[in-house]
Amino acid sequence: MKKWLYDSARDVDQAATDRLRQFPREPDMVIYGLRSLGALIIRGLLHIYNHFEIVGHQNLRTNRSLVIVANHCSHIDTLCLLAALPLRKLHRAFPAAASDYFFQSVPRLWAAAILVNALPFARQARVRESLSLCRQLLANPGTILIIFPEGTRSTTGEVGEFKSGIGALVAGCDVAVAPCFVDGSFQAWPKGKRFPRPRKVRLVVGRPRNYRDRGTDKIDFCAIAAELRGAVNELRPANGSR
Amino acid sequence: MSPQTSLHDPVFRAYFWIVLTSLTIAGVVLGFLRFVLKKETASVFKTYWSWILIAGIGFVVVFLGRIPTIVGVTLIAICAFKEFAHASGLYRDPWMTGAVYAGIITVGITSLISDPLGAEHGTGWYGLFVAVPAFAIPLILLIPILRNRARGELQRISLAVIGFVYIGWMFGHLGFMANARNAYGFICYIIFATGLTDVAAFTFGKIFGRHSLRSEISPNKTWEGALGALAVAMILPWLLRFSLPSFGPWQLILTGLIVGIGGQLGDLSVSVIKRDIGTKDMAATIPGHGGILDRIDSLVYVAPLFMHMTGYYYPLR
Repeated sequence: MKKWLYDSARDVDQAATDRLRQFPREPDMVIYGLRSLGALIIRGLLHIYNHFEIVGHQNLRTNRSLVIVANHCSHIDTLCLLAALPLRKLHRAFPAAASDYFFQSVPRLWAAAILVNALPFARQARVRESLSLCRQLLANPGTILIIFPEGTRSTTGEVGEFKSGIGALVAGCDVAVAPCFVDGSFQAWPKGKRFPRPRKVRLVVGRPRNYRDRGTDKIDFCAIAAELRGAVNELRPANGSR
Repeated sequence: MSPQTSLHDPVFRAYFWIVLTSLTIAGVVLGFLRFVLKKETASVFKTYWSWILIAGIGFVVVFLGRIPTIVGVTLIAICAFKEFAHASGLYRDPWMTGAVYAGIITVGITSLISDPLGAEHGTGWYGLFVAVPAFAIPLILLIPILRNRARGELQRISLAVIGFVYIGWMFGHLGFMANARNAYGFICYIIFATGLTDVAAFTFGKIFGRHSLRSEISPNKTWEGALGALAVAMILPWLLRFSLPSFGPWQLILTGLIVGIGGQLGDLSVSVIKRDIGTKDMAATIPGHGGILDRIDSLVYVAPLFMHMTGYYYPLR
């Protein structure tokens, strides 16, 4: 009889929180179940509490890899973008989250790793490593990356400068980039407030773009970042909040 | 079983004080070893803190009543199977793991609902509970057929079957005992006795251990530890006779044998699995104990044997 080969998970000898910290995480049916349940509850709450509305839903319909780029005013943004995706794609959708903010304290880690399936993104040091991790993920068709290229939540509700890293990620890469604008999230849950407020939130999804023909040097990266910022800003509804 | 009855139940209250006293004595002994004799006890202390946590959670769940006990046992079984699946590599097959989770949840549901032909409400559907493997194993076997696959499937089927029967169904007996008339006595006794027997095996082994019990499986277990634990397990039913009220001497001896021998065999059975897979612990969920499966391994073995032994002599209701 031939010997059986057990293909153990890489994380069997790690404590539960360390397991959530590492990335890519091992598939786990229990966590998938919790995440799906959480997503249903969050969707319900968004609809009731924030009268959540999606415009341009069809722009997200693809079986290939997709990068979603959006403005960032509050934690609601991530939840809105996830709520725009079908449930079966939830476990392949990775919002890039600051590893220094979301992957240190345990309650935030639970929310980030279990509920939103976040990807730990090093925004101070080792940005390059994080970007190459993102690129590896995108090489797998069907991956969805959610990125807020401002790098932090806006404190004014305006769209800040986009970091050039987003350009470095998508330049010369055959992947669709969908610009999105989340309207009203700044009023609903601004940075520094403990609880969200019942304000209307609307998500506008723009037409996907592709930057496969672009060069890969710093000037191109900055140009792509600026273009994407323009595209996101253009989606701001004329009669929107502000 | 409900919060009101548990407050007034003499057995439940007695166990609360017994466990509190045992943990206090253990703490005093450990403190003496550490601070007076200056022994290296850091790892034992970690295990000890986890015991306190386990006892606390266990008491709260049993106190809350029948439904929380059954749900709690089901959740523990789910977590334990999750560890087993991750360690054995079965987790890469979401269909198989999904089928086993469905089976474990079914075990929980059959313990909760009542027998449509039964006289009493809220006492679990014993017939279906015992028959769950007859439905879960065909479900597991159905998966490769539906997916039209054969290569490597025997290994997955075997892992899924042992995962379901051993961790899901056999451990599920602990939850089903919440339906017994003497639920507090059975559940408290079986958890306390297996826990104490484990500790006794460890302690006797540490103090007198010379001869390896099963060198190929678990090098740290010794004959001295095993015999000491068996002695403790044989004495316990007589000391805690109040929680097994209808038991005669013969049943008390059987209880001692089941806990004393079964508990250690359960420990060794999981060790065989771990040894073949090549991990030391199934996971690192409980500090100082390893995974959840490492903690419940004896209980998995003991609970069904005890329940069916009892059921043979006295009906559960």
